[in-house]
Amino acid sequence: MNILRRVLGDGSSRAWMLLGALLCLFLGLDQTGLSVFGKGAGFSVLENFATFGPVALGLALTMLIREFDISMAGMFSLAGCVAVRLGQAHPGLGLLAALGVGVLGGAIQGLVLVRLNLGSVPVTLGGLLTFFGMAYVLTGNRTVDLPDLNVALAMNEPILGVFSLRSILAVLLFAIAAFMVAYTRIGRDMVATGSDPRAAKVAGVRTEAVTIGVFAASGTLFAVAGALMSYSLSAASPSGLSDVTVPAIAAVILGGASPSRGTARPLGTAAGVLILCLLRTGLTSLEMSPHVHEMVMGSILMIVAISDGPDLTRHLYRLGLGGGRDGSAP
Amino acid sequence: MTERSVPALQPLPAARIGTTMLRPDTAIRAAALGALFVLALTTPGFTAHASLLSFINTAALVGCVAVGMTFITVSGNIMSFSLGTTTGATSLMFAALSGHGIALALLAAVLLAIVLNVVQGLVIGLFRANPIIVSIAALTLIEGAAEMWTGNAILYVSEGSLSFLKGKVAGIPVSGIVLLACVALGQAVLRYTQFGQNVVMVGSNFRAARAAGVKTWRTVTAAYGWAGFFTSIAAILIAARYDAGHIEYGAGYDYSAIAGVLVGGTAISGGQGSVLRSFVGVVVIAAISVILLLRGFATEYQHLFTGLVVLAAVLVQGRLRA
Repeated sequence: MNILRRVLGDGSSRAWMLLGALLCLFLGLDQTGLSVFGKGAGFSVLENFATFGPVALGLALTMLIREFDISMAGMFSLAGCVAVRLGQAHPGLGLLAALGVGVLGGAIQGLVLVRLNLGSVPVTLGGLLTFFGMAYVLTGNRTVDLPDLNVALAMNEPILGVFSLRSILAVLLFAIAAFMVAYTRIGRDMVATGSDPRAAKVAGVRTEAVTIGVFAASGTLFAVAGALMSYSLSAASPSGLSDVTVPAIAAVILGGASPSRGTARPLGTAAGVLILCLLRTGLTSLEMSPHVHEMVMGSILMIVAISDGPDLTRHLYRLGLGGGRDGSAP
Repeated sequence: MTERSVPALQPLPAARIGTTMLRPDTAIRAAALGALFVLALTTPGFTAHASLLSFINTAALVGCVAVGMTFITVSGNIMSFSLGTTTGATSLMFAALSGHGIALALLAAVLLAIVLNVVQGLVIGLFRANPIIVSIAALTLIEGAAEMWTGNAILYVSEGSLSFLKGKVAGIPVSGIVLLACVALGQAVLRYTQFGQNVVMVGSNFRAARAAGVKTWRTVTAAYGWAGFFTSIAAILIAARYDAGHIEYGAGYDYSAIAGVLVGGTAISGGQGSVLRSFVGVVVIAAISVILLLRGFATEYQHLFTGLVVLAAVLVQGRLRA
């Protein structure tokens, strides 16, 4: 009983169980003759994972230290534009430049919010609009192409049937992040900062350095996703080639993160992203409109937002539906 | 009243008196406004009829959403990412019902925007759910529902039903007058009513407001209701401008509105700010856009400048607080 409670109480385990259940459901439907997993479904799921995964991971790292980096779409788009604009002759250089922009943009945001003691939402909102603005200026408000199609071919070349360069990199990034959070001092400092910043500071954790580092990492992860996405499509657009904000937030939250507590974890987030990618591919195979997927994501977000609300327990207690101690007098 | 009289009893050092007379944020704001004014007047063509018209039209649409956004920001809920989509959905509702009479279409449009926001306000006010996540969830749900309903089509407004909104009164476009009316109403509600004071109180200290007996959930819900109301006015102005409704018509208005709110000096942390400030913020951003355009900068520079101006506004707020 205790083991069950522990597994269900842990957000990451819950996410992996949900992923398993969804996979079983789709496999079951597949057996009944409904074609949920057509040819190439695994590849398609992992390609989506490669696009949204690093973005969700970056957000999860900031949510782990109880901050919220909302600049993801801006950096995703800017990095794509930088990579394509500067990588016309040497795509490697373009990618490096995009990563540099990611590290720098993220670190500056982290520095500003630490130095001025500001909330992460307003600062990264300013960052979001500025990054978008830079992408517009860089491309002259146009979609730019990468003439070297070999880059896209290399990016999209299937490896072992279901993987591609992009998705292998995404899996690697998750593995590195999970290892760092679980087994290194940096990871423990991050968890401490997210649990109680004051106590962490008293205990000797350099919370300011942790915050700056995490924002630099999130910026880099957004940039990796944006640059590689642009390379796989051989194009970049300042208005963004894909809406990453909603899927990234939904994935992190599905992965067991709470907006009010620092409970985000890389492995849980990976499960969250996979659930969304599986849903997207499955619903498309079942010929459902993309809006159904959108509505499902919206509903998930709304349900999690409500269940995470600190005052929910109080109201449940009042209605006689819960016995939580939090339900004491208002 | 008692709270205000306390500092007056304490002797103020000379330097403090100096800062009280001209607070640094007031000085920065006055200097920036002065510089902008000079820049506008020295920009060839700024005072031309066409420029002014475009200036007023741009400011009117974003301005109404910004008035609504101010209620959300002051109530301590940062911003709503769903006001742009609400604008689009409301323009659709108006266009869909415009054949059944203007009164019904207006009523349904206003009601829709209010209901969409009141539901979010209820969730945030009752459960203290994260306002950012709730508004992003609402954005996705509204967009999905609207696209399922219309199949991403443009719905056209029945002919002539909104022509009065395109006219002018005493040389001023009606949209500008509507904006001024919204600003006056919003300012009156937020500044001079008990509800408005409750919004400020909830925004500045949620727990204290609750302890003082304020029904916090009602205040937050009503603040979102007002945001919905002002957003619906923007949606109707948009429907009038394009003679149509589409879910994408409000795209980006949430960002432009929060830019106006922040540039105006309303505190992003809540509890401080006014509709009048947001109006000034929106006017400043619209003026910068027109100046950039007239001075030969391409549209992309407007995006960059809006971003930088918002960033600067956030930094100035942080600097003053630190």
